[in-house]
Amino acid sequence: MLNNILTAGFFISVLAATIRLATPILLGALGGIYSQRAGILNLGMEGTMCIGAVIAFIVAFFSHSLILGVLAAMICGMIFTLIMAWLSVTMKSNQVIAGTALTILGTGFAAFLYRTVFGVLSLPPQITSFGELHIPILSSIPIIGPIFFQHNVLVYLAYFLIIITWIVLEKTIFGLNIKVVGEHPRAADSKGINVAKIRYASLMIEGLYGGLAGAFMTTAYLNSFLDTMISGRGFIAVAVVVFARWQPVKAMWGALIFGFASALQIRLQAIGTNIPNQFLLMLPYILTVIALISVSKNAQFPSAYTKPYSRMER
Amino acid sequence: MMVLKIKNLLINLIPSLITIFIALFIGAILIIFSGNNPIEAYAYMIRGAFGSKQNISETMVKTIPLTMMALGTSIAFKNQLWNIGGDGQFIIGALFSTSIGLSLNLPSWIMLPLSLIAAFLGGGLWSALAGWLKAKFNANEVITTLMLNYIASFILAYLVYGPMMDPNGFGFPQTPLLKDSYHLGLFSQETRIHMGIFVAIALIIIMIFFWKSKLGYKIELMGQGEQVARYAGINAKKMMILTMMLSGGLAGVAGWNEVYGLHYRLMTDIASGYGSMAIVIALLGNLNPIGIAISSFFFSILLVGGNTMQRMTTIPYSIVNIIQGLVVIFVITRATLFKNIGMTKLKKLMNIGNKNMGETKDVK
Repeated sequence: MLNNILTAGFFISVLAATIRLATPILLGALGGIYSQRAGILNLGMEGTMCIGAVIAFIVAFFSHSLILGVLAAMICGMIFTLIMAWLSVTMKSNQVIAGTALTILGTGFAAFLYRTVFGVLSLPPQITSFGELHIPILSSIPIIGPIFFQHNVLVYLAYFLIIITWIVLEKTIFGLNIKVVGEHPRAADSKGINVAKIRYASLMIEGLYGGLAGAFMTTAYLNSFLDTMISGRGFIAVAVVVFARWQPVKAMWGALIFGFASALQIRLQAIGTNIPNQFLLMLPYILTVIALISVSKNAQFPSAYTKPYSRMER
Repeated sequence: MMVLKIKNLLINLIPSLITIFIALFIGAILIIFSGNNPIEAYAYMIRGAFGSKQNISETMVKTIPLTMMALGTSIAFKNQLWNIGGDGQFIIGALFSTSIGLSLNLPSWIMLPLSLIAAFLGGGLWSALAGWLKAKFNANEVITTLMLNYIASFILAYLVYGPMMDPNGFGFPQTPLLKDSYHLGLFSQETRIHMGIFVAIALIIIMIFFWKSKLGYKIELMGQGEQVARYAGINAKKMMILTMMLSGGLAGVAGWNEVYGLHYRLMTDIASGYGSMAIVIALLGNLNPIGIAISSFFFSILLVGGNTMQRMTTIPYSIVNIIQGLVVIFVITRATLFKNIGMTKLKKLMNIGNKNMGETKDVK
């Protein structure tokens, strides 16, 4: 069995799968950075991803256009996250409970929509998912090519969004406003920054990312929809944001760690190890807890984290 | 005094009833979209929950564990600890009590309380782990309890597919049956309703007194914010772990109830997602023991009736989840909503019940 593991082929396939499996978590985490930086903890990401997954699938199935599916998923993710914005910013509700409610609502609604559209079928409907896009020249480099340059387009997009996210947060006035609102909403308000507007905007951007993450699951990772397909990825993404201390590049490393745990589990299962597969399946979840412990103690949370802002109160 | 209390309780029920009504109304709109008649659908739901002796019994059978778990959830929530790991704690509780039941040979009057304590400890320790991680490392309990859910369900799957599998079970992922003398008594041979209901009632009464006790009061104080607790001289970290322990312990007892009262064995799907429902129930019940019992009953109707509805119509069962999510949203917004509408009197009433969740406190 060890002979099967210690081969170049095994490592290449594990590492390539790591990059692929990290993608939805990375997208969710990048989105979470916007809202958490603005002081909103959105635990509804799990629900947003479910909505994104089902919308992308349904639209792609009927329009035969994957791009349209992905765009629809992003827009619906954004609309869905508006509920979180309304609850946390306008209604000033408890964000943990609001996020939990949205997770229950989102997973329920996704399953409901899927059954309503397709009914109960013995064979699940399928679409043709995004194919591998081999980057010319680079993809033919041995070892490096198959690991990094033979993925579908959404994978490249996700990694490209790391740069975009970083630029928006660090190099634009909008990004600066997000951070000020998360650190010191009162100061922001006195400078004429509309706190509610910035928080709404950051949550809506998060919704776009979350919808995209969900779309990845149905249009790129698999080619069908399952009720259980998100299975905690949204929550892991939230954990990654904290682990990454609200930095896009660090979020990538966080996502890759979880991608690696999932990839290793799938590959080891495929070649049949003596380790019971339940222990392998546990791996990403245990890692999340360990990662959270390792950074939470000294983490510098945004000062206004999870605190609603009201002009009246002091 | 007593009359006033009952009156207060009834007035407190009004906002909850409005909440449920709005959620069911939106559910009805979705049912129309799915091409069904909502009145017919809800009629099936009521018939499924109350149509026969068996149906009523099933509704009660579900009310018992939901009440236990939601009571547990309410303990953590009062302390502003967002324990959403009820399912994991339920599983570990069921696991501890089943292991004892399968390995020890004792008279049933010893075994039943002993297994109940084991379940409480199992669920409690699993949850205390998250409490400890929060106290020691400041790890967000929402994420840790959630991850512990997944970990617990994989531990359970490993055991029932492996070491604990029934050797005569034709390879089904389940443990052997507990011996007959360990089973909680049934009220009648035709229905599944069992003596666990007395444990649930006892827990409701215990919780009413718990909130009047010193420990209960301390937990409520903790929920008012760290500063308040500090002024009161409470050791916040210790209380955090203890609160989580008690909260998870009750979820563990719900696991015990399902094993000893209903299935008499462990299987992979024993938790059946009661955890998230317990959160909704605890919130709808204003974290109040009586309120929780009433909300549990309502959600059992949804659960049992929802199954019937799915069988009789083409409406997917997930409509029940949607209604759950909507209920939570309306519970957390109604105080502000009513204020905006100008119903100051109702709002005042609701502030009494909502003081622990209407307003946000620091939850990092």
